[in-house]
Amino acid sequence: MARKPQEDPQLDMTPMIDVVFELIIFFVVTIKPQDVFSRLNVNRPAPAQSSAEQTNDPIEEIQVGEHSRSDRKGVYVYNGKPYDIKTIDPILKKISSVSSDATIVVRCNGKSPHGALVDLLDICYKYKLMNVSVFSM
Amino acid sequence: MARKAQTNPQLDMTPMIDVVFELIIFFVVTLTESARKDESITLADGKHGMVITAETLPMEHLQIDVAAFDKKGPGRQRLKTPRISISDREISLQDVKNIVLERKKRYGHEFPVLIRADERTPHEMIRHVMDQCTAAGIWKISFTAVAEDNTSDTKKKKK
Repeated sequence: MARKPQEDPQLDMTPMIDVVFELIIFFVVTIKPQDVFSRLNVNRPAPAQSSAEQTNDPIEEIQVGEHSRSDRKGVYVYNGKPYDIKTIDPILKKISSVSSDATIVVRCNGKSPHGALVDLLDICYKYKLMNVSVFSM
Repeated sequence: MARKAQTNPQLDMTPMIDVVFELIIFFVVTLTESARKDESITLADGKHGMVITAETLPMEHLQIDVAAFDKKGPGRQRLKTPRISISDREISLQDVKNIVLERKKRYGHEFPVLIRADERTPHEMIRHVMDQCTAAGIWKISFTAVAEDNTSDTKKKKK
């Protein structure tokens, strides 16, 4: 049997190209984009720690209550007045314009849905209010 | 020039095999990277939060899943006590404390702990998980939210 030359100028690339194309088509069809996740940091202050870290930055308190039946989103209370997720947005914008170092204290009712808290934290992040503490009632 | 035979018994399969092997290795590596998690959880939206990438979140982190609903398909029941799990393995509140405590000893109090909770979970249960973390000495806790919804089924679930 004659020895095949090392470099074959007539090398048949067709099957390789076939396979590569088929694989490309397969993966283009099957790969679906994944969700992108974000993280929202909160502080969980110890009673002793919060009194030790007294600063001059303003502290604003927002309460997250049990959601009402008509509105699935949480009901927020700020300065004794109720807000929903849309109306609390300008309030936080105002707080951030006064001082971006303001501490937001979020007091959560035990029955309030977690989504209501995350929605509120998201708005805090939107206005770069990073000092958020979560208390539970 | 001589016409080449239609069936060549000496056909060089090497490049094809090379490419196929490379693709197999690539997909084996990328598939194992997708972490196991509780699939029943519906997350709330958090477009403005810190986007989680390999750079912003170190490999050494802990994600605690808190689910409010049954795992079984359609017509899922609301759970009386939410299910806490890590990497899709159910654990108790005491386990949460032990695991967080052990991680804190190894990586310090800045160790990132993420709570991936269903948006319908009552805050009370999140509070219990957070209390276990604080008891273990981790004061900074993160909540996982959806920054960019690319899979439409999460939108469907919300309705």
